[in-house]
Amino acid sequence: MRICMVSDFFYPSIGGVEEHVYNLSQMLLALGHKVVVLTHAYGDCTGVRYVTNMLKVYYLPIKVCYNQCILPTAVCNVPMLRAVLLREQVQVVHGHSAFSALAHEALMVGALLGLKTVFTDHSLFGFADLSAALTNKLLEINLSMVNHAICVSHIGKENTVLRARVAKHRVSVIPNAVDTALFTPDPSQRPQEGIINIVVASRLVYRKGIDLLAGVIPRFKNTPNINFIIVGDGPKRDLLEEIREKCNMQERVEIVGAVEHAMVRDVLVRGHIFVNTSLTEAYCMAIVEAASCGLQVVSTCVGGIPEVLPNSLILLVEPDVDAIYNAILVAIERHRRHESSCAETARSKRRRRKKGNVLPSAVPEPPKHADEAVLCPYRCNELVETLYNWEDVARRTVKVYERVIKESAFTLSELIYAVNQCGSWFLVFFVVAHFMLLLLEYWRPRNRVEAAFELTPKSARDHKQSSKVFM
Amino acid sequence: MARTVQSKRKPWVKNLYSNREYPDNYTDVSFLKDLRTNLNVRFYTFAEAVAGISVLNNQISCITGFLILYHLMLNDTVAPTSILVPTCVITGIGYLFYRGKSLSMKLLGEDSKTLVTVLLFGYMFSPMLHTLTQAISTDTIYTMTFFVMLFNLMFADYGLDVAMVSKAISLNGAIFGAICLASRLSTSYHAFVLLVEAAIFFVLYPILTAGTWHAIFMLPIFVICCTTLYFISRPVMHLYACTTLFVNFICPLIFVQYQRYKFNIHGPWDEAIVEENTDENLDENL
Repeated sequence: MRICMVSDFFYPSIGGVEEHVYNLSQMLLALGHKVVVLTHAYGDCTGVRYVTNMLKVYYLPIKVCYNQCILPTAVCNVPMLRAVLLREQVQVVHGHSAFSALAHEALMVGALLGLKTVFTDHSLFGFADLSAALTNKLLEINLSMVNHAICVSHIGKENTVLRARVAKHRVSVIPNAVDTALFTPDPSQRPQEGIINIVVASRLVYRKGIDLLAGVIPRFKNTPNINFIIVGDGPKRDLLEEIREKCNMQERVEIVGAVEHAMVRDVLVRGHIFVNTSLTEAYCMAIVEAASCGLQVVSTCVGGIPEVLPNSLILLVEPDVDAIYNAILVAIERHRRHESSCAETARSKRRRRKKGNVLPSAVPEPPKHADEAVLCPYRCNELVETLYNWEDVARRTVKVYERVIKESAFTLSELIYAVNQCGSWFLVFFVVAHFMLLLLEYWRPRNRVEAAFELTPKSARDHKQSSKVFM
Repeated sequence: MARTVQSKRKPWVKNLYSNREYPDNYTDVSFLKDLRTNLNVRFYTFAEAVAGISVLNNQISCITGFLILYHLMLNDTVAPTSILVPTCVITGIGYLFYRGKSLSMKLLGEDSKTLVTVLLFGYMFSPMLHTLTQAISTDTIYTMTFFVMLFNLMFADYGLDVAMVSKAISLNGAIFGAICLASRLSTSYHAFVLLVEAAIFFVLYPILTAGTWHAIFMLPIFVICCTTLYFISRPVMHLYACTTLFVNFICPLIFVQYQRYKFNIHGPWDEAIVEENTDENLDENL
């Protein structure tokens, strides 16, 4: 199958959507599909490039307008998108993220060209304020032109069905995944002598509940062997630094700042407990990564978070300072009990592991009840591995592709009817886009568009290149 | 699509890892069961709406009153002193009422210091302010006054906590309008009186009404404005009366009628609300 992933968010920018697109593309390539990624240019990063495993990425020369998104003009990029989609002989256009204007434009062009369209929604939205109302309207119009939508959690599906008025059976739930082979535990990195590290890794913004965190940290003022490690950067960093200063906890609260995604694991393994204070979240990859690294997870119970991990791996609490504080105390207590129960034998094993290769076979007995907390880091990693992996995600996504390929493409009248139903004003853009495509069809007929040169890993090796940049 | 459920299938659970036997686009019966509508929506009665909108009408009447005074001075119907003295007396009474029991000699001293400073500087600068916009044509002045007064209406603080409200823009608009109009008056003493009136109408009066406003106050204000306008210009009086009645009765009626279309959706996807840490409350939270 020939698939085109479209999103404003892709490497070199870093985040949940970027990771999803990258990992999914890699898996689809491994499954033998042809994948190209479409995004806008990031500074010097422009043109056509190949990344790992010959994944072809088009960095289209479009100016960024706001928040790494292009200006949503709906029609201005039609010729470029058409050229790419036809040259690559794409069958399925797969847009990512409701915030990405490029994805929406490509989906419209795809639908008009008679290609199949799939859209993945990565975020939750309220209904209360003006900006939400506007975005929801745009999403509704665009999803009316999409064959199938994918959400990352069941809450996400409810949200998308409500705000974009899509039919329920046209929305699938396929979660994100985490590379458990990358996020492995390493207890030797943890501090000894009864010190407990609490790790927080998120952008330091209001939506991630940093204000809650700022309320929790001072409560540990008088418990000397509890330390905090905070990864990430953002406008709320000043607040945390101020709190740290006022509580005289400079020694014990380490604010690391922004860290590359690959380095996050190195920080995570240093901790015992991971705290997530998000106020809203569709899926939350951070807690899965933390659980995969063997940390006990304490998280606010908002959005899709209760669906992500079984109770044995997570402590869910209300978004409230007291509740989070109490849950952290529970986690500390559990950890202390676990430490003392793991007698000499376990300790000697750990020492051996430091030198030898990590073998998760030598782990303590699994818990008897499903709800009982799993504390052994290696067991956590194993458990997460059984829950999520990218291959499973890719296979399920391919099923969606196969489904939409079988469906008949939207006819022009169907599209016009659908758009007219949700917002007739958008027909202005729609009609312009349609006539532009007609004009382009006249100038550069589809059957005379030259297909892009296929670069397989083998032919690439002939060009004495492996995974470096091509222009 | 909900296929015919096989009897042996495990029940569907709302999590992301255990429903392997179900297709990805399966929709369970529990779908949207956490949906709540109109949780915090308040439905207003007609009386409440009428009482509420009178705050806006008060501001409209306040501007009208100021323009009436301007007109009286422009035509020299009333001498500036005979406007200044009564309004000063009323302002004094208003001040006593506003301070009430908390009035003390110290407070009185400080307030009179402010008053003297404002009056002195106002009097000193009034010749300059009087000639500031004299070169501009009268039509331009009136159009400009219309727009800045409109700004005053739009940004005035009606007791709502929304981003639109800006006391600074509102007050600056009104004062700028007053300075524009001052240039049309005959002497700089006239201009001084007009500026004092502007201060009273747009600075002091809103302070007083902010705490003590009651919808019934609108009635005498309306009657006074209408009577004065009756002697100045009939069409303007009709315009004023129609606008006031429309704003005060028709608009609330429409609002109350359309309340039944209120449809506010809440669910687990809503952002949790937490108190944001600001410089003020940072220390008490420690």
